[in-house]
Amino acid sequence: MGALGPALLCFLVMFVYPLIRTVMMSFHCLPSISSRSADWEFVGLKNYTSLFTSSVFHSAMGNILKIWLIGGVATIVLALLFAVILTSGVKWKRFWRSAIYLPNTVSAVALSTMWLQYVFHNKFGLLKQLSSAVGLEGLAKINWTSPQYLFWGMLISYVYGCVGYFMLIFLSGIERIPRDLYESAILDGAGSFKQFWHITFPLIRGVFRTCVTLWTISSVNFFTWAKMFSPNINVKTVTPVYLLYNKVFGEANTGTVLDAGSGAALGVLVALLVLAAHLIMNRILKEEELEY
Amino acid sequence: MKKRRKITGRRVLGVLRYIPLILWVLFFAVAFGWILLASFSTTREIFSNHLLSSGIHFENYVEVWKYNNVGHYFINSILCTGIPCVLIILIAAPAAYVLSKKNFFGKKLTFNGFVVGMSVPSVMLIIPIYCWFVRANLVGHLITLVILYTAFNVPYTVYFLTAFFATVPSALAEAAMIDGCSEMRALWKIMIPMASPGIITVTIFNFMNIWNEYFMALIFANGNDKIRTLSMGLQNIITSMTYTGDWAGLFAGVMIVFLPTFILYLFLSEKIVAGVTGGGVKG
Repeated sequence: MGALGPALLCFLVMFVYPLIRTVMMSFHCLPSISSRSADWEFVGLKNYTSLFTSSVFHSAMGNILKIWLIGGVATIVLALLFAVILTSGVKWKRFWRSAIYLPNTVSAVALSTMWLQYVFHNKFGLLKQLSSAVGLEGLAKINWTSPQYLFWGMLISYVYGCVGYFMLIFLSGIERIPRDLYESAILDGAGSFKQFWHITFPLIRGVFRTCVTLWTISSVNFFTWAKMFSPNINVKTVTPVYLLYNKVFGEANTGTVLDAGSGAALGVLVALLVLAAHLIMNRILKEEELEY
Repeated sequence: MKKRRKITGRRVLGVLRYIPLILWVLFFAVAFGWILLASFSTTREIFSNHLLSSGIHFENYVEVWKYNNVGHYFINSILCTGIPCVLIILIAAPAAYVLSKKNFFGKKLTFNGFVVGMSVPSVMLIIPIYCWFVRANLVGHLITLVILYTAFNVPYTVYFLTAFFATVPSALAEAAMIDGCSEMRALWKIMIPMASPGIITVTIFNFMNIWNEYFMALIFANGNDKIRTLSMGLQNIITSMTYTGDWAGLFAGVMIVFLPTFILYLFLSEKIVAGVTGGGVKG
């Protein structure tokens, strides 16, 4: 039993206590981040109400909604496509699997630099050269790092970096389905699409739910790519966590007023969104224990 | 006739299914291949699209390394990734053993606590912890990152190893305890070595995650050049080089950050892939 001690201690000190403390902070106005709780001024829900009425918060919520919906559909469709292809008996399956997962192992700083300084570059960029080569001048003219396209450039590169991870999760789900189900379906004359629609898809519903939940969590926590694509806060790419970072840890020269209480309120909202994602997905796709 | 058409249809589909795979992987290979070549060229060659036309310029790497403390960043990254990887196992493995092999009041609650801990966003925890570190005068020291990376990876590791210990037979450890071996000793000498495949898998997974971590490194290691990690260092190199217009050096910096995890991945891709899906899925 003593063996549980360190892990439990770590959990109580680094998870439970900070969690309670952040919730408390979100109802107070703090003179500075390190001020003692005796100096906190209780303000009730003011931190929340001033967030809800601020336009930058609306932009942040709108952005993660777009990331969640558009990026989510793209990521899950691509990941599922790759997982289905890889389980259809292709050659060099392990190679493809490792190669598609590879971007997930690269530091986001290096990966986003690859996109920003090479793929999207408006002088020697890969996209520009490719689209000029095939005669798509309209596409070649797009400056992906201009304010108009920055968000979409960021979303494309984020989705590219995420697909491998979701593909692995779908793969493990599909590989658990017994092969004889497919064999009897083939004997009955079912083609690839019918097999997918009538066997694979229904049997990986649980995995699908996991993926949607994980995607929701990662969209709610979206930060790194936003920070890489716009080092200074920008309404096009701001997200709740970016806003929190700026309010709590932001550098003084950016002109933001440091406000730990308001940052804590944002943290609570992010956590509530994650909780809601778990609850809603559990309700919608209620787990049915399928025997197979 | 109809049957034959169906067979050719299937064969066409059989070839077509390689196209998305090839395009997806080729894109990454071309992009990083180009960056590799660009990192050995001059900035003028990059802009005029004649990579390597004046031979290989290895000095890009030398300059980036020399003028930007990259060696220092490297050591920082190794320290604040390596130490947590060891500490996590020291904390999580015994806990996972207890959770999978023992029965006690509150076991389910404890286990669920760790599962919930896995999905608590770190932004929800980081503000009070930052406040402690400020008061303890620790901000600006690597130990902040060591503490955070250890604590925040314990729940998933406990979760992963609990599932793994369930597959390790406990008969050997029980026999040793009957022979008078203490439980702690049986745990460290018998159970943990037997669980080592799972421990290695989850450690590689933790290593990759911590090595590439961004949010906390930005908060705790960016202000002070002495404790910058490799990713933070690269970010600063990029910012300064886009100002000075040294694209060749910039791409050399990208390669320096890219190569360590890439080489690790070349050798360990099977283990890494297993770490992602092995113990269920990380939340």
